Amino acid sequence: MKRAEQEAYERDYAQAKKEGKPFFPYAIYKDHIVAILVFAAIIGMAIWQRVGVGPPVYTATSTFEPRPEWYFFFLFQMLKIFKNQNALLPVIMATFIVPNLLMGLLIATPFIDQRAERRISKRPFALSVAVLVFVGIGWLTYQGETGAVPVSGGAITFTGITPGSAAAAGQTIFANSGCTSCHMIKGSGGQVGPNLTNVGTLGKTSTYAGTIPVKVPGVKGPVYSGENWFVLHTECPTCATPGSAMPAFANFTAKEYQQLATFLNGLGTTYK
Amino acid sequence: MSTTDIGPKGPVGQVGEAVVEYVDRRAGAKTGITWFLKRNIPSETSWFQTLGFAAMATFGLQAVTGMILAMYYKPDPTTAYSSIQHITNEVTWGWLVRGMHKWGASAMIILVFLHMARVFLFGSYKYPRELTWVTGAILLIMVMFMGLTGYLLVWDQRAYWATVVAMNITASAPIIGPYIADILRAGSNFNPDTLSRFYSIHMLVIPGGIATFIGLHLFLVSKLGITEPPWAKRAMRARRAEEAAARAAARERAPQGRREVTVAPATQPVKVEAGQ
Ligand code: HEC
Ligand code: HEM
Repeated sequence: MKRAEQEAYERDYAQAKKEGKPFFPYAIYKDHIVAILVFAAIIGMAIWQRVGVGPPVYTATSTFEPRPEWYFFFLFQMLKIFKNQNALLPVIMATFIVPNLLMGLLIATPFIDQRAERRISKRPFALSVAVLVFVGIGWLTYQGETGAVPVSGGAITFTGITPGSAAAAGQTIFANSGCTSCHMIKGSGGQVGPNLTNVGTLGKTSTYAGTIPVKVPGVKGPVYSGENWFVLHTECPTCATPGSAMPAFANFTAKEYQQLATFLNGLGTTYK
Repeated sequence: MSTTDIGPKGPVGQVGEAVVEYVDRRAGAKTGITWFLKRNIPSETSWFQTLGFAAMATFGLQAVTGMILAMYYKPDPTTAYSSIQHITNEVTWGWLVRGMHKWGASAMIILVFLHMARVFLFGSYKYPRELTWVTGAILLIMVMFMGLTGYLLVWDQRAYWATVVAMNITASAPIIGPYIADILRAGSNFNPDTLSRFYSIHMLVIPGGIATFIGLHLFLVSKLGITEPPWAKRAMRARRAEEAAARAAARERAPQGRREVTVAPATQPVKVEAGQ
């Protein structure tokens, strides 16, 4: 804003104040009416929609859904939009670049918009930005609210898996370890992580150079691919996929890692 | 003798007045309160300008319900879940206090967003209120962090894994990400100290920050005064008068009330631009 415009505003505001009314009681009574209505709404909701408690942490149940509070749905939803691109950059887009850019723009708003005009009818660009941001956040929140698909237990059947095989053991571990709460397989499961129905066809490789904490015989570098990649990824997701948001599962036995990897590596090819 | 004069003050009134006088002489409390309450604001303010106060009042409610919850909650991985169940199912009114704290959190987020929208649409972030906006934006970020840290405390599956993912996402941010995640988690993985660290952040660190910034925010709001809605009758009247004056000035400079006609230099074909 130009100096002259600032001074004009100060003159105008001083005039408005001179013709004005004292804060107490003329504004404060309105404030209190609204605050009392808000309190009543909060108490009403607390009575009407009782809070519950979900299953405790660390149980083997597979029918929970890791979801944040609704006001973070838009961030989670953004992660889903970028996640399936599978390159490193897009994930950082959703987790870091976009949120920080929005935060920076939010803080910088008064320094970006320096025009003196205050009437929204004369600020078409500002109005469109506001509408876009609110509709965008609202839409992503709605998507996050309705996008969840119910998790059905271990009832999924695959062609190609014979009872008693390593792959069958792997499927059981998968169903009992909470994997399904984040991953969808054949239309059932959560959506925090990618859909794993065809994960075996992706040909994942890694040239991770460090040592992995749990030694599984035969699984070593320089290049991890096929089943070895799945062992590495389960044990240490960030080793196989830098920046991975998946929690590490470091407490399986060597045999269990191997069985799980056999199951995962065959998904989409041998096991459908 | 005026009708409000009802004789000498009783001993209680006298002591009260003396105490007020004593404090004011030393702390200037009366001056400050008078400055805050009796300052003039524009005569026409909108109901949308009550949203900030409503957010602040809700923060107060969260503080009170949070204190009550803290009397029963145990920030330890082995007992957190059962203490939440105890509050919900056994403590008298416990379910209500917990429900109010949970719904209050949602209400506060909604109120802060609506308040921000009104500030934006009124153009209230413009000179001289830029810093009010900046302190507000920082408040918004802190309020979101309250939601994140409070969610884990219930220690159920949903909240636990959602927070694990959120922490891993934090750790994936370039350069500072891993350090921030380590600080929040009290280590490079979720561990028994993570819960008590979240608890401390949720009920001591961020509330302290929010209280400080609400103080700054409110000081700026009362020092600069609340904006007048751009369509207030007085503002429109002032704008009309200004425009009329500008028109009058333009008329004075152009005789017969016509706009000046610009004539191109003679070297080129003469072109007359008619004013619209
Ligand atoms: C809390 C949520 C969560 C849980 C539980 C979880 N994952 Fe993941 N998973 C993710 C996320 C997020 C990604 C994406 C990041 C990555 O690729 O590492 C992912 C990625 C993967 C990938 C790579 C897919 C691809 O396309 O790159 C595989 C394989 C995988 N998970 C297997 C598992 C298995 C097996 C389990 C159970 C032992 C499991 N996940 C449990 C969140 C989870
Ligand atoms: C904890 C959150 C917040 C609280 C408690 C709060 C409180 C308040 C209060 C009480 C007012 C007085 C006028 C009114 O009620 O509208 C106000 C004004 C203001 N707030 Fe906030 N606020 C918060 C968040 C924000 C945010 C997120 C922003 C924007 C990024 C913001 C920007 C402003 C500005 C610029 C004003 C001056 C408006 C004017 O003069 O018209 N505030 N705030």
